[in-house]
Amino acid sequence: MLRRTRNVGRLLAGLFAVLLAYLAFVQVIWGPQLAASPQNPRLALAAERIHWGRILDRRLTVLADSVGTGPLQVRRYPQGAAFAHVLGYRSRRYGLTGIERREDLALLGLPITDPWEVLQEAFGRTPEGNDVVLTLDAGIQQAAVRALGNVRGAVVVLDPRTGAVLALVSRPGFDPSAVDAQWAVLSRDASAPLYDRATQGQYPPGSSFKTVTLTAALGSGRVHLADPVRCPEAIDVGGALIHNFEHEQLGQISVLQAFVASCNTAFVQIGQRTGAQAVAAAARAFGLGQPVPFDLPTSSGYVPPPRDLGARGLAQIAFGQGSLLVTPLQMALVAAAVGNGGTMMTPFLVSQIRAPDGRIRQTFTQRGSRNVMAASLAGEVAQAMVQVVQSGTGTAAQLPGVLVAGKTGTAENPHGNTHAWFIAFAPADRPVVALSVIVENGGVGGQVAAPIARQVLAAALQIQSAAAGRP
Amino acid sequence: MAVSPTASAAPAPLPWVARRTAERGLVAAAGVLGALGLVAVHTAMYPAESWDPVVAGAVALAGFLVVHAALVIADNRGDEVLLPVAAALSAVGLVMIYRLRPDYAVRQAAWISLGLTSLLIALGTLADLRWVRRYAYLCALTGIALLVLTVLVGVERNGARQWLVVGAFTLEPGEIVKLLLVAFFAGVLVETRPLLTLPGPRRWRADLGRLGPVLLVCLGSLLLLVFQRDLGLAMLYYGVFLAMLYVALGRLDYVLGGLVAFGAGATLCYHLFAHVRVRVDVWLNPWADAAGRGYQILQGLFALASGGLTGAGLGLGHPELMPASYTDMIFPAIGEELGAIGTFMVVALYLLFLGRVFRAAVQADGSLDRLVGAGLGAAFGIQTFVILGGSTRLIPLTGIPAPFLTYGGSAAVSNFIAVALLLAISDRGARAAADGRDAPTHP
Repeated sequence: MLRRTRNVGRLLAGLFAVLLAYLAFVQVIWGPQLAASPQNPRLALAAERIHWGRILDRRLTVLADSVGTGPLQVRRYPQGAAFAHVLGYRSRRYGLTGIERREDLALLGLPITDPWEVLQEAFGRTPEGNDVVLTLDAGIQQAAVRALGNVRGAVVVLDPRTGAVLALVSRPGFDPSAVDAQWAVLSRDASAPLYDRATQGQYPPGSSFKTVTLTAALGSGRVHLADPVRCPEAIDVGGALIHNFEHEQLGQISVLQAFVASCNTAFVQIGQRTGAQAVAAAARAFGLGQPVPFDLPTSSGYVPPPRDLGARGLAQIAFGQGSLLVTPLQMALVAAAVGNGGTMMTPFLVSQIRAPDGRIRQTFTQRGSRNVMAASLAGEVAQAMVQVVQSGTGTAAQLPGVLVAGKTGTAENPHGNTHAWFIAFAPADRPVVALSVIVENGGVGGQVAAPIARQVLAAALQIQSAAAGRP
Repeated sequence: MAVSPTASAAPAPLPWVARRTAERGLVAAAGVLGALGLVAVHTAMYPAESWDPVVAGAVALAGFLVVHAALVIADNRGDEVLLPVAAALSAVGLVMIYRLRPDYAVRQAAWISLGLTSLLIALGTLADLRWVRRYAYLCALTGIALLVLTVLVGVERNGARQWLVVGAFTLEPGEIVKLLLVAFFAGVLVETRPLLTLPGPRRWRADLGRLGPVLLVCLGSLLLLVFQRDLGLAMLYYGVFLAMLYVALGRLDYVLGGLVAFGAGATLCYHLFAHVRVRVDVWLNPWADAAGRGYQILQGLFALASGGLTGAGLGLGHPELMPASYTDMIFPAIGEELGAIGTFMVVALYLLFLGRVFRAAVQADGSLDRLVGAGLGAAFGIQTFVILGGSTRLIPLTGIPAPFLTYGGSAAVSNFIAVALLLAISDRGARAAADGRDAPTHP
C-alpha cells in the first residue's frame, strides 16, 4: 500500500511535468508566433495606444504615416490610390490588408521587450511603432500608374538580379484612407477595385506563354531555333481546327521566326515535338501553377497536369490558351528569370525595419532563388525575345539606345475582348528591370500592352541608372 | 523546507513559540506577498475606488496566521508546508480576482475566511477519521442525494456547471460530494481490503460482490454527472475512484479494466451527446469556429502566448477578453499578466502541495489514514490537472475550479476541510513515527 500510494503520487507529478513542458512550449516557444495571429484581439487593442510606424519606399518617400493619438489616430496615404493594393488599408471596421496587415507587428513595434520602453509607457509616453521600408520606388510606381491610365489591369516591375519588387500596380485603384467612408461603393463595384490583380488576378497568358513553351522545346533537345516549321492559317488537331490570329499565314519559317511573329499554328507543332510532359515541367520550373512565396497573398494560377492533356489540350497550352491561368506577378518572374540567366530570384517587398529614431533593426536583401534553366538556354530564349521587340510583334516597346527583350500576348478569354499582355526585361544583355503588363480586355498585346511597357521601362531604366550612380 | 515535521516531532511538547516555526514564516511570507499584490493592483488600477477589497483580502490572508496559531495551540505536529502553499495559492487567486473582477474581491476574501473557519471546525470535529468507517454509507447517500437534487432543481451557470440555489447563495455541490466520495470509498475499501487481498486464487464474482456498493455509487454519480453535462467532475470522481481502488487493493487488472471502461464510456458519450462532441472538436481545432465555440479556448491560448516569458504585468494585459476569466480561465489570465514565470510558479506550488499530501499519505499511521490521504491527494492532483490542462488546451476544457485559485465559496470550504483532514493525518503519522523511534525494538 505504501508503494502504491507513492506510485499514484508519481503519476500525478508526471502529469504536472507534462503541463510544465506544454506551458513552456505555448508561452515561450510558440508564443511569439501565436500572439501575432490576426485573430488575437490584443493587437487591435494595442494599436489604439501606439503611434503607428510609417511605410516608406526605397528612397524613404513616405507612403503611409499617421497623425493623432489613441482612437483618433488617422492613417494617411500621401501617394493616394497609386499604392493602394500594396499598402492595403488599416480600418477599425474592416481590418487590415496588404503590408499594413503583413507588417502589423513591426508597425506597432510589438512585442515591446525593452524594459526601458515598458517603463516609459508606464509613465504615459505613447510608444511608437517601427517604420517599414519597401523595395518599391515611388517614381516607377507612379510612372506605371500613369502609363496604365484608366483601364483595368496590372503592372509588375522587378529587379531581376535580386527579386526586389520596384512597382506593383493594380487598376482600378482606391484611396486607402477612404475605405471606411466608401466601403459600400468599393465592395460592390463590378470592376472590383479592392482586388489586387497584380498578385491575385488569374488570366490566360496567351502568347506570352510561348516564352515557356520555347524554353521547354529548346531544353528538350528535340527542337532548335533554326529548325524549319510550317505556319499555315489553320491546323487540324484531332479533328478540330486551330486558327492563327487574324488568319495570318507565313508558310515555311524557322522556330525563331515562329516565336518572333508569334505564329500559333507553328507553336502547336513545336508543342507536339516537345511533348506535354516537358512543357508542363517547364511551366512548373518557372513557378507557374503554384502560389509565389511573397509578402502579400498570391494566387497559384493553373497548369493542367500533363496526363489530363489530350492532343488538343497540348496544342492549346503550347500557345498559352486552354485551361492555363497565370498571375501578372508570375509572368514578371518568367521575364526576370530569362533575363537573369535562368535563375529566378524570389520576389520581396519589405527591405528594412527601422526604429522610430532611424536605427535599422532588420534588413532583407534576398529571399532565395530557384534555378529554372541553364544560363546558355536562357541566353537563347533572351535572344529570341530581343528579336520580338526588334522586328516582331513587340516593336512598340523599342527604346532608343537600349536593347529591350520582350514577348507579346493576346489572350482569348470568356469575358469579352482579348487581354493584352506584354512581358519584358532591359537592357537585354544585363537587365536591371523586368516587368509584366496586362490590360484586361484591352485588345492586342503588341498594340496596347507593349507601349505601356515602353513607358514604364523608360522611367524605370532612368531611375535605376540614377540609383546605380548614387554612392 | 528548513524543518521537517518528523524531525521536529519530539516526545515532550515544545514551548509555543518554538512550534511550527517554518509554517509561521512561510504563511507570513505568503500573506505579505498577497497583500502587496492587492495594494499594487489597487494603486495601479482602482486608485479612486474604496480600499475595502484590499483590507478584506489582508484580513482573509491574516486568517491563515490564526489557523497557524490554532495548530500551535493544539500541538499539531503535522506537515508545515501544506498551509503556507494553500495560503500562497489563495493569495495569488485573490490578487487575480481583484484585478479581473474587483466587485468579487471582497466576496472571495469572505469565501477564504469561511474556508479557514471550516478548516478549524473540521480540525475540531472531523480530525479523528473513525467516522469515515462508521458513516461511509451515509456519506455516499448524502453525496448521491446532493447530485440528484442538483439534477432536479439545479441551475445552469457558466455553460455546463450546475449549481444549487439556497437563498441568496449558489452552492457548487460537486465540491462537497468530492469529499464525501473520498470518505465513502476509503471507509468501504478499508473494510473490504482484508477480504480482497487474501492470498490464494481470485474469484471475480466474489470480488465483484464485495465491491458492489463502491461500483454502484461510482457509476451512479457518473450517470448523474453525465446528465448534468459536468464532464470535468465525472473525470475527477472516476479518477479518484480508480486511484483509491489501486492503492487499497493493488489490483492493476481492475485499474486497467477501469481505464478501458472509461475509454469505452468516453467514446460512447462522444457519439451519443452533441455537447461532448463539441468539446472535443473545439479542443482539436478551435480555429474552425474561432468566433463562436472556439472563442474561449482560443482566447486562452492568445492570453498565454501574449504573456510570453515575463508576462504583460498585473493590470497591463487583456485577460478580460476571455469569458470566465476569474473562474475557469484564471490560469491563462495568470499566464498573460505574470508570464511563463507566473504559471511555472503556480504549477510549482501545486506540485509542492501534491508532494506534501502524498508524503503525509505515505507516512500515515494506518491504512484508513493512508487511504483518505491518497484519495484527497488524487482528487487534488486530478482536479488541478483537469482545469489547468483544460484551460490551456492541453486536454479538452471542462470547467471545474482550480483548488484555492478560482473564485468560489463551495470550493474554498471543501478544499480547506481537505487541508484540515490532511493536517490531522500528517499529525498522527508524525506522532506514530516519533513513538516508533522511541521504542528501540520497533523497526
